[in-house]
Amino acid sequence: MTHIKRVVLLMIIMNIVLLSGCSSFFVENNTVEEIAPVIFWSIQEGESGKLKISTLVPPLINEKKSMLTLQVNLLKQGRKDFNLVYYRELKSGQLRMLFISEELAKKGILPLIDTLLTDPDISQRLYLVVIKGNFEDYIRNQVDKQENLDYFLYRMLKHYETKNQGDITVINLHQFLKRLYSPFSDPILPVFKVNKENFIYHGTAFFKDDKLVATISDMNDQILQLLNNDYYLKLLPIPSLAVSLGQIRSKVIIKLASDYSSISIKVNLVGRIEEYRGDKNIVDSDELEDLNQEIKSYLEKQTTALLRNMQQWKVDPLQVGTHSLTPFSQPIKDEEWLRKWGDMELQINYQLDLQTMTNVNK
Amino acid sequence: MPSPSLFEKSSPFSGVYFMLMVNRMQMLYFFIIMPRHLVHPYMIMGIMAVGILSQVNLMLLSKWFSSNFSVQGYQGFVQLLGERTVRVFAFLGLFLILLRITVMTLGFVEIAHQYIFPSMTSNWLILSIFIVCFYLASQGMENTIRFVVIAFLSTIWMVIIYYSFFFPPIASMHDLYPLMPPEWSAISWKGLLLVWSSLSGVEFLVCLTPWLRPKQKMLKYLTIANTISVLEYLVLFISSLLFFSSNYLVKTKYPVLDMVRYLQFPAYERIDIVLISVHLFVLVFVNSIFILLFYGATRILLGKGVQQTTRMGFAASFIIILVSILIVNQWFWKSGEEQNIWLNLQIGVGAFTYLLVPAFLLVATKLKGRFKV
Repeated sequence: MTHIKRVVLLMIIMNIVLLSGCSSFFVENNTVEEIAPVIFWSIQEGESGKLKISTLVPPLINEKKSMLTLQVNLLKQGRKDFNLVYYRELKSGQLRMLFISEELAKKGILPLIDTLLTDPDISQRLYLVVIKGNFEDYIRNQVDKQENLDYFLYRMLKHYETKNQGDITVINLHQFLKRLYSPFSDPILPVFKVNKENFIYHGTAFFKDDKLVATISDMNDQILQLLNNDYYLKLLPIPSLAVSLGQIRSKVIIKLASDYSSISIKVNLVGRIEEYRGDKNIVDSDELEDLNQEIKSYLEKQTTALLRNMQQWKVDPLQVGTHSLTPFSQPIKDEEWLRKWGDMELQINYQLDLQTMTNVNK
Repeated sequence: MPSPSLFEKSSPFSGVYFMLMVNRMQMLYFFIIMPRHLVHPYMIMGIMAVGILSQVNLMLLSKWFSSNFSVQGYQGFVQLLGERTVRVFAFLGLFLILLRITVMTLGFVEIAHQYIFPSMTSNWLILSIFIVCFYLASQGMENTIRFVVIAFLSTIWMVIIYYSFFFPPIASMHDLYPLMPPEWSAISWKGLLLVWSSLSGVEFLVCLTPWLRPKQKMLKYLTIANTISVLEYLVLFISSLLFFSSNYLVKTKYPVLDMVRYLQFPAYERIDIVLISVHLFVLVFVNSIFILLFYGATRILLGKGVQQTTRMGFAASFIIILVSILIVNQWFWKSGEEQNIWLNLQIGVGAFTYLLVPAFLLVATKLKGRFKV
C-alpha cells in the first residue's frame, strides 16, 4: 500500500517538473573570453530617420581595437546586429557613457533614454553627453594613438563627477530623468566639441522636455556652475579684467516675490585672487576695492544676461521654480510657472569676499 | 520527510519570536510596490495614520492573546465557536492562505525574473522556492518559528543602505513639499488600503498561540513590531520621494529596488541582486508558516484535528498549494500592476481580514464570557 502511495507521489512531483517545461535555467553565457562588455555607445542621426550607432571593441582585452558602426531603426536592433558582425557577444552591463549627437538631441531623446532606463543591466549612473561634431572621426583617428581611449573618457567624467569638482557639468541618466519629469526644473547635459584631433568640453546644453534648445559656453557655463550645479569653481579666469579667481565657493539665496513678478538672487562668493595682470596695485586696499567692484559688476552683468536668455528660451535649468514650493501651500502649475518665469523681473546681487595672495604685486 | 509530530510543542516561545514574526510578515513584497502607489509627499502622513490605526487594531488582538481561550489552541476555538463554525472558518482560511501565498510568491518571482533571471522560465523559480519552503516546513512548526530569527537578521540591515538618499546631492527638501493634501479627493485611498493590507498577516498568528508562552504582555511586542514596520515604510517612502520626486515616482515600477541600483559600491555594483536574493529568506519563512497553517486547516476541515500528522497529508497539502500557484502563474497571472486582479484581491482581502479578525475574536470572547455568567 505504501509502495503505491510513493509511486503516486513521485508521479505528481514529476508532473510538476514537467509543467515547468524543459527550458534551460540560464540563457546568458558570460564567459569573459567570449564577450565584449562595451563602455560607450555613440548615437547619431543616420539616413532616412535611422539611428547610426557605433562603439569601440574589444573594450578591455589587449587586442587591436576597432570601431563598429551600424545604421538601425531601433537601439536594441543595433545591439543585436553588432553581435552578427563581430565575433564576440556585446554585453551592455558595463555601459558607462552615451554620446548623443547634437542634431539628434534637438529632435528629442526620450525614447532612447527610456530604452536604456528599463534595461536592468544598464546602470542608472550612465553618463549622458551631447556631442558637437563627428565623434566617429575622432575615435577612428585617435584609437591607434591612444590605448584604452574609451576607458579614459569614462575616467574623466567620473573624475569630475565625484565631489562636484566644479569644472564641467556631468549628468547621469537618473539626474537627467529626474529633472525631466519634475516640474520646475529642466534637464541639462554637458556638451563636448570634437574634431579629428580633440575632444573638448564646450559647455552645457539646456533641454526643454527632452529636446535640446540652447547651449551655453565659457563664462556663462562657469556662472551656471556657481549658481546651481556645483556651487564651486576651482578657477575662474576673467580675461577682460585681467584677473583669475581661485577656489571660489558660492552661496546662493533665491527669493521670489509672492506674486512671482520679480526674483532676487543673492550670490555670496568666497575665494581668492590668484593671478592679476592688470595695472592696478591691488596691495593697496582702495584699488583692491575698485577691482572688487569691477568683478562684481562684471559678474552681475553676465549673470543677468544669462538669466535673460533662459527666460527667452523658456527654460529653468537653475530650478528656480522649486523655490515657490512650501510645505503647507499648493504648488502652482508648471506651465503657469514658465509663463511667469518668462516675464519675471531680475535682481541680481553679488557679494564678494576675496583674499589676495600677498606676492601679487606691482 | 516530516517527522510524525509536525505540530509538536516542546518548549513555549517568548514574545520576541512573535515580534520578529509580525514585523517580517509586514515587510513582505507590498513594501516594494508601496511608494509607487502612495506617490505624493503628503501620503507620509497617511502612512503614519494607518500605522496608528494598526496599533489600535493590535491592541484588540492582544486582548485575545491574553484570554483563556487562546492558550488552548484548537480546543479553545472549538469551545468558543463550536466545532462546526471552526470548520467553516478553516475552510475559508484555506482560500485566504492560498491567495496570500500566491500573490506574495508570484509578485516576488516577477521581481526576481525582471532583475536577476530575465531569461529563466518563472515556473522554475517558483519550484525552487517551494522546494526550500517544503524542507523548512517539514522540520515542524517549532523549527519554522525559530527560523524567523535568521529571516529577520538577514533582512533588517537593508533599511540602513537607504541612508545615503537622505543627504545631498540626491536629497533636496522641496521634493517633500507639499506636506498637506490639497483636498480630500487628492488622497490615494487605494494607497492607504495597500499600507493597511501590507500591515496584515498578523491575524493569522492567532492560530499559533499554543506555541506561545502564556501570560506574557503581548501588546508590548506587537507594538514594537508594528512601530519598526511603520518606520521602515516611512524610510523607504521618504527616500524614494527624495530620489525620484513624485512625478517620476509614478513612472517607476519597483522604486525601492531601482534606487538601490543607483548606489555603487567599489567591489560590487548590482546591490539590487543581493537585496532581492536575501529577501527570499523572509518569503520562504512566511510561506513555510502558511503551508503549515494550510495543512493544519485541512486537518481541522476533515475533522482530524486531534489526530497524528501524516507525511502523506502534509505532502498532499503542499502539492495542492504548489500546483495551484503554478496554474495561476501559467494561465492567470498578468504582470503589470493596474490590471492584476490577484494583487487587488489580496490588497482587499488582506485589509478585510486584518480589520475583522481581532474585533471578531474579541466580541466572541466577550459574548461567551457574558453567557457563562
